[in-house]
Amino acid sequence: MLELQQVHKTYTTPQGPLKVLDDVSLRLAPGQSLALMGESGSGKSTLLHLAAGLDLPDQGSITLAGQNVSTLAESDRAKLRREKLGLVFQQFHLVPSLTVIDNLRLQARLANRDDTDWTAYLIARLGLEGLEKRYPEQLSGGQQQRLAIGRALAPRPPLLLADEPTGNLDETTAGEVLELLLSLVRETQCALLVVTHSPQVAAPLDRCLRLRHGQLINTEL
Amino acid sequence: MIKALPTVLATLLAHYRRHPGQLAMLLLGLWVASALWSGIQAINATARDSYARADAMFDTQLDQLERRDGAPLTRADYHALRQAGLPVSPMLEGEVVTQDGTRLTLIGIDPLTLANNNPLAQADSSGSLTDFMTAPWQTRAAPDALTATTTLANGKALPPLVLAPAIPPDTLIMDIAAAARLLQSGEEITRLVAAPGALAEAPAGFTLTRATRIATPGQLTESFHLNLTALGLLAWVVGLFIVQAALGLALEQRLGMLRTLRVLGVSGRSLVLALSVELLLLGLIGAAAGIASGVWLARLLLPDVAATLGSLYGAGVGRELNLPWHYWVGGLAVSLGGLLLAGGGVLWRAARLNTLELGQMQAWRSGYRRQLMLMSIGGAFVAGVALALYGWLRFQPPGDGLVAGFALVAALLLASALWLPPLLALVLKVLTHLARRRPLVHWALADMQLQLPKISLAMMALLIALATNLGVGSMVGGFRLTFLEWLDQRLVAPLYLNAPAEQYTDIDAWLADHPDVSERLLTRRSEAILESIITPKGSRALGTPIELYGITPGESLTPHWPLLATQQDRDTAWADFSHGAAFVNEQLATAENLSPGDQLNLRAPGVSETLTIAATYPDYGNPSGQVLMASPQLAARFNAPPSSMGVVLHLNADVDALREALTERFGLGSDALSDQREIKRIATEIFERTFTITRALNVLTLAVAALALLASLLAQARSRRQQLAPLWALGVPRAQLAQLSLVQLGGAALVTGLLALPLGIAITWSLVAIINVAAFGWRLPLHLFPWEMAVTLATAVAVALLSAALPALRFWRASPRTLLAEEANQ
Repeated sequence: MLELQQVHKTYTTPQGPLKVLDDVSLRLAPGQSLALMGESGSGKSTLLHLAAGLDLPDQGSITLAGQNVSTLAESDRAKLRREKLGLVFQQFHLVPSLTVIDNLRLQARLANRDDTDWTAYLIARLGLEGLEKRYPEQLSGGQQQRLAIGRALAPRPPLLLADEPTGNLDETTAGEVLELLLSLVRETQCALLVVTHSPQVAAPLDRCLRLRHGQLINTEL
Repeated sequence: MIKALPTVLATLLAHYRRHPGQLAMLLLGLWVASALWSGIQAINATARDSYARADAMFDTQLDQLERRDGAPLTRADYHALRQAGLPVSPMLEGEVVTQDGTRLTLIGIDPLTLANNNPLAQADSSGSLTDFMTAPWQTRAAPDALTATTTLANGKALPPLVLAPAIPPDTLIMDIAAAARLLQSGEEITRLVAAPGALAEAPAGFTLTRATRIATPGQLTESFHLNLTALGLLAWVVGLFIVQAALGLALEQRLGMLRTLRVLGVSGRSLVLALSVELLLLGLIGAAAGIASGVWLARLLLPDVAATLGSLYGAGVGRELNLPWHYWVGGLAVSLGGLLLAGGGVLWRAARLNTLELGQMQAWRSGYRRQLMLMSIGGAFVAGVALALYGWLRFQPPGDGLVAGFALVAALLLASALWLPPLLALVLKVLTHLARRRPLVHWALADMQLQLPKISLAMMALLIALATNLGVGSMVGGFRLTFLEWLDQRLVAPLYLNAPAEQYTDIDAWLADHPDVSERLLTRRSEAILESIITPKGSRALGTPIELYGITPGESLTPHWPLLATQQDRDTAWADFSHGAAFVNEQLATAENLSPGDQLNLRAPGVSETLTIAATYPDYGNPSGQVLMASPQLAARFNAPPSSMGVVLHLNADVDALREALTERFGLGSDALSDQREIKRIATEIFERTFTITRALNVLTLAVAALALLASLLAQARSRRQQLAPLWALGVPRAQLAQLSLVQLGGAALVTGLLALPLGIAITWSLVAIINVAAFGWRLPLHLFPWEMAVTLATAVAVALLSAALPALRFWRASPRTLLAEEANQ
């Protein structure tokens, strides 16, 4: 589903070049789940951005759903994201001017895969019934993150990328949201790559990798 | 991706559902820009259509004859000239009032003798020539002059109406016999005309004015319309400032949304496409509303404008708007073009922003410092253009460079507007440094620096509006002072007499013996050909007709008559004048680059004279050049008939008794004697009306700038509360924070107002010294009004305080719970 081969990424900073990813390779099979752990600044988010085609590596290749992301034009990478990926962020990134239901259906509509029954099911599974007409700011943090997960899964993507999906939530809510995320991933049989520094989040996943100073220091935990 | 466009568009537009104020601000800017521009263009288009119709019909197509003695033309004159074999045609002109109160110009023609190629002579309408010339006759009129009733106020009926679209507005044309009956003109006719060039020279006893010498209404009113267009353009620019402020703000607040959309698979190109479609949709709505309002505004202003153009230039303008197809297309194109101009930068910046940084406000703001630098450089470049224009104008012949003059004003405004944000940023930086020991003041100044990107556009609009207001206000104020003073100097006699030329000798003799009369100021008028001029640089042939005007120098007139330049001194100039030297008006001096000491070679039938110029004098409101001579000299050398007489009375003399005695003794008509105060009142009224529309547009522009500022502040009121809430949480009272907001904006407006002062003076100078000279041929003295400047400063601060009051009041009235929520959101 997702394969990174010898990926390098360096940023230019006022203090000089900063190597963020150094010869990183990994593979994620369809339906598999993988946790990517590491300290702040270890390169986790950069890896996620590269995997999503939001940024390009300096060296190496990234293959997503059989396509080499590095060689695709910007518009093709956007299409790939639209149709093959679901993304969940720590800061939710919901559209504040859209209602709950419109936020949920946004990516499905963009991908031309809007399914009313599936949306209704998701609303129920996410515990957002009765809140469809509300705006994101009128929801609690947990509800907002559940909505973000629902939006990512609404088009039934084959791969879900999540960046600290519970990082902004309290412990109890984080547990509930994680449980919901994994349950829905199992239902949709999509692959899952989670970037986190929380062992609790990483524990239930199939595999776990650790990044340190831009390098994968051990392959399996 | 085209399939997803409606979803992206709906998502983008959803922002305005949550922020209707921003949508209102955007549409308001578009509406205002489009309304004022298209309103003025509607007036201009209608006026130009009227001029074109008048040009095609009347004065400019025909040579005209007038009696040399100034007496009215009669049928006998016409018959005599025809019997002498001269191809002249009579015309009768008068005003009729219909029963519904409509005033119309009635023109009677003789189609058989009128030149064949003249549109009046052609059976332009469906009727035949026989129907036109025989009872019951026909009344030809354009659709906009067709009245509901064909009965006149005096009970007489117009001949049957026939539609003739080419006829000028408010004009009826019929056979001269029918017109004479309606106007009860008796033996009198208004004009004797001939085809251009049909008469080799003026017949004895007549003066001939060639068609090419008669200025068309279009030429005369060109500067008036250019002035209107410039003001319309200014309002359009100020409106676009609002649009750009609204677009910038809307985009900034949607950065998170844009990032999310990009992450969800919408390409940058698609996003820009969707934003463009959004702009187009909003643009069409704003432009449509603007053009509709513009037409409404034009309908409202047209009667005043038509009256002004009629009284100032004698140009007839229809009362109904007449808009060609290209007006509508042009209006839409200008509105959408303006939107593209205002939104282009926003689109460009949105397309260039890094996807990964899109959600961060800092990414947007980090560019502001670079923007300030670019503004400084851009301002310097435009100031350079202004300097270059000024330099170029200095080397142009006098009277040239009207468009360049307006371009200079535009460049001055743009350069100052571009320099304003860097100047404000610098002032704030210095003050922030100075106030570092006073935490709240320090915070307020630092906070103002953060606000600057959001309000700078509105401040720029305010600067432009204030400076234009001051500049135009000072010009009009200076003009009023000069004009009134000039009227006082010219109209020294309490009573003015306009009698038939042959009566003046008797009247003068009678008045000379009247005990109440201290002086008689006889004036004379004539025409001559200015063959050539002789200056120290050499001789120059001209061959242009020129008006000669004679006045009676004396103790009433001479001390007050203003002179701009003399060969030696005033007394010498007047002494030379009495002995045959001439004065020339500023218009002639400017057009031909004449100075005192130069000589004029003048030719009239049987006369050839060389006059030395002793002085130049101001002649406000006169569109033509004029040579002034002592009345006795003009009579002796050019055989000029008397045209009017000012009667100066001794102190405490009874004006009314003299008026009555004159009327009775010489059988004068009711309008033969005019009271000086009445003349001044009418002149002042015309003056005030001339600037009514200028003042109205000025105030509108200032109001638009105030709206821009208010809209900017309202649009960011929520984020402002989020910034103020932590301070409130730290213990600063709400009232104090609200006051701080007012002081912050009032201070920024004060700096803007201070910059508007020199800019306004520069604009006044450009108007009086460049644009006025280029447009009218005369220069006004530069008057500065400290009171006006104080009002400008006060207006700047008042506009800012009024704009800041509503958001400040909202903050002050916000519940503690709301503020806590804002603080939590921080």
